[in-house]
Amino acid sequence: MKTKIKKRFPMQGIRVTDFSWFGAGPYVTRLLAAYGAEVIRIESNTRIDGMRWQAPRKPGVPETYNISGMFNNYNPGKLGITLNLNQPKGIDIARKLISVSDIVLDNFIPGAMEKWGLTYEELVKIKPDIIVATMPVMGITGPYTFWRGFGTTIRTAAGIDYMTGNPDRPPIGTGMAALPDFACNPYHAATAILSALHYRNKTGKGQFIELAQFESTVCWTETAILDYTVNKHIQMGMRNHLPNAAPHGVYRCLGEDREVDYCAMPESEPDHRKKDERWVAIAVFTEDEWKAFCKVIGNPPWTKDKKFATLSQRKKNEDELDSLVEEWAMKKSPEKVMMLMQNAGVAAGVVNDGEDLQTRDPQLKERGFYVYLDHPEAGRIAHDGLTFALSATPGEIRRAPLLGEHNEYVYREILGFSEDEVNQLITDGALE
Amino acid sequence: MGEQKANDTSLGDLRVLDLAGPIGLYCTKQLADLGADVIKIEPPGGDPTRAIGPFYHGEVDPEKSLYWYHFNTNKKSITLNIESPEGKKIFKKLVKGADIMVETFQPGYLDSLGLGYPALKKLNPRLIMTSITPFGQTGPYKDFKASDLIGLAMGGFLFICGWEDEPPSRVGGSQAYNMASIHATTATLIALYHRDITGEGQHIDVSMQQCVAHTLQWVPQMYDLQKRIMVRSGRLGVPLQECKDGWTNFIALFDWDLLVDWLKSGGGCADLDDDKFKDIDYQIRPEVRQHISEVTDAFTKSHDKRWVCEEGQNRGVIAIPCNTAKDVVENPQLNIRNFFVDVNHPELGEVIKYPGAPYRFAKTPWRIKRRAPLIGEHNNVIYKKELGLTSKQIAALKGRGVI
Repeated sequence: MKTKIKKRFPMQGIRVTDFSWFGAGPYVTRLLAAYGAEVIRIESNTRIDGMRWQAPRKPGVPETYNISGMFNNYNPGKLGITLNLNQPKGIDIARKLISVSDIVLDNFIPGAMEKWGLTYEELVKIKPDIIVATMPVMGITGPYTFWRGFGTTIRTAAGIDYMTGNPDRPPIGTGMAALPDFACNPYHAATAILSALHYRNKTGKGQFIELAQFESTVCWTETAILDYTVNKHIQMGMRNHLPNAAPHGVYRCLGEDREVDYCAMPESEPDHRKKDERWVAIAVFTEDEWKAFCKVIGNPPWTKDKKFATLSQRKKNEDELDSLVEEWAMKKSPEKVMMLMQNAGVAAGVVNDGEDLQTRDPQLKERGFYVYLDHPEAGRIAHDGLTFALSATPGEIRRAPLLGEHNEYVYREILGFSEDEVNQLITDGALE
Repeated sequence: MGEQKANDTSLGDLRVLDLAGPIGLYCTKQLADLGADVIKIEPPGGDPTRAIGPFYHGEVDPEKSLYWYHFNTNKKSITLNIESPEGKKIFKKLVKGADIMVETFQPGYLDSLGLGYPALKKLNPRLIMTSITPFGQTGPYKDFKASDLIGLAMGGFLFICGWEDEPPSRVGGSQAYNMASIHATTATLIALYHRDITGEGQHIDVSMQQCVAHTLQWVPQMYDLQKRIMVRSGRLGVPLQECKDGWTNFIALFDWDLLVDWLKSGGGCADLDDDKFKDIDYQIRPEVRQHISEVTDAFTKSHDKRWVCEEGQNRGVIAIPCNTAKDVVENPQLNIRNFFVDVNHPELGEVIKYPGAPYRFAKTPWRIKRRAPLIGEHNNVIYKKELGLTSKQIAALKGRGVI
């Protein structure tokens, strides 16, 4: 079969009933929506998605549930409806919607979907080829089934924090950066859903998928698992070092004579000071790269020292090496260091901050990564763009839905309720 | 277990050519673990990735890299010099029978060999070719060199990690590579869905920098909406508690009363039963945090982390152990759920415990049915049985350094 349909989103025709909220779940459907799936987010005024009230917001914009920067960045391209699942009619409507959907996703604690009678066993009766995916924190079985956690704590439990950073200090891992929520968990879930779709294309069969966020994240604890099961070796943080590279680190560069607001937490008071957090990352693996590196920094006498002659010598004297590298880097901007190194074939890169990413990095600019869209309440706002380009079927970022914005379309056009019926549902509180 | 039938895996009908270095290995690992027939194409002598540690009992040997083992489960291996004219010919034959090709060369390299997407598309219009590079196929930095650390740096993740009084600090493992790889898997599967419907293949351009930049939580909005630059914050926002045998993570803000009750039952809560502690603005002040930690540390230090977390969670307090790899391997939840899988390594005379499935399918289970391949382990299967070369021809190709 070969029908060429141009200007078509690849996932067009796929409908998702999306019960997920906060970060990890909505990131899954964000991807599907960007490539044309019709994602219908089930929200409720009785149970507002925590992301709708999270900081940051734009100063001076009237506070509503529609202006959260994070919500708007996590949910572009989706349709938003309100539906009260604690009303019997609300559950009927959810079932009706699922009966015309391809995929159902939730990331509630285990038991929530059961409470509403929306388990796979029930849903397959109304839509035989449905794909149902759930993303519990610890799994739907096991002694820790009802443990609660967040992206940061899942990372801690999975062992990633323990092998991150300075081994002589408490294991802070990546701090407040909740890596699992925005990387392995949503993208593992998307991988599972998309491969289940391929299976459905071949066989006509849907299925149930469980993604335990803990297990998904342990997969990214990576070779530390084998290092333990094989060698009984427990990997610890190595700061910025690696066993097979030196220098391999992050070096302070020349600060800028310009004041900015640094911020440790979204809610905390900004730290107004010179833009002095300027850093460059350098990674030297091979002897050729080491020679090129030495040439870039002007072959100072210390580079000839026996202490640094071989990789194993450099590894032995790495702290001293790092301070010598930093002494050189500190007189230059990170951009300058990066260009000098890259021109000599040495891997190096600016440690981009939020400002650098959006206003300076020429690569992201050229690739059009950030997408600025007008939002009816929040004004013109930034969205992360696409992370890959599909040559035949590109995706697109469209703004996130207001709370209940698509009730009319979904209830009238998709589900076929009359205006009177919708009004009755509103009166009954089913669409709260 | 013999070869699986294609119909009890989700991707068992697919042939994948894997020309990926570390930045793309997790992409093809996922495809292989979901049943695809992934053929790793190694340069004669073996893939450079085999030199990456850690190693089996510390023995530096291309057949004993645990890094190689981890990322190449279920894959087959052939050796082939795709730069030689004969190698190109063989490669093109393989492309004709492939559904997906994943490559991580510098942009333009395959084109220079006459093996770029436009050329391969002519041979096989259904081919999905996934290219994973540090910065993508276009733009001023497309030819820049990078590693995992550089990906974390340029993508903005590094800047928000680490102690305030130390340089920004990378995350353990090779997470920028994993991010690039996992985005590439989804991209490939989206293209596959499109191909299922239309028959049309395509080329995919994945940028590690963009993948990393899509994991930054508040960072883009804090700058866009408030012109504030999120910076690494050390222990702030990471509520670490010291226990007898290590650390746990406590998020007590939402469950303050439960925490206070628990402390009281265990010897006292000092003044933490004052309602002012329930206010987040008050709670995040450094001196207040310090005070809370002193009280809770005094309690948790006399217990081990497993007890603290099990007891805490039973009481409704979010308490999570800071696990080492050993703790993870021994974790009750993972073991009762049979998360880990035993993989046979006949050459080592040993069965090795691997991390298991990131996702559980009811009908098409994720499986490791075979350890990572030895160098050129499947040369005979592919070259002889599939492409019909004779032993003589294979020997000649070997002699000329093609395979």
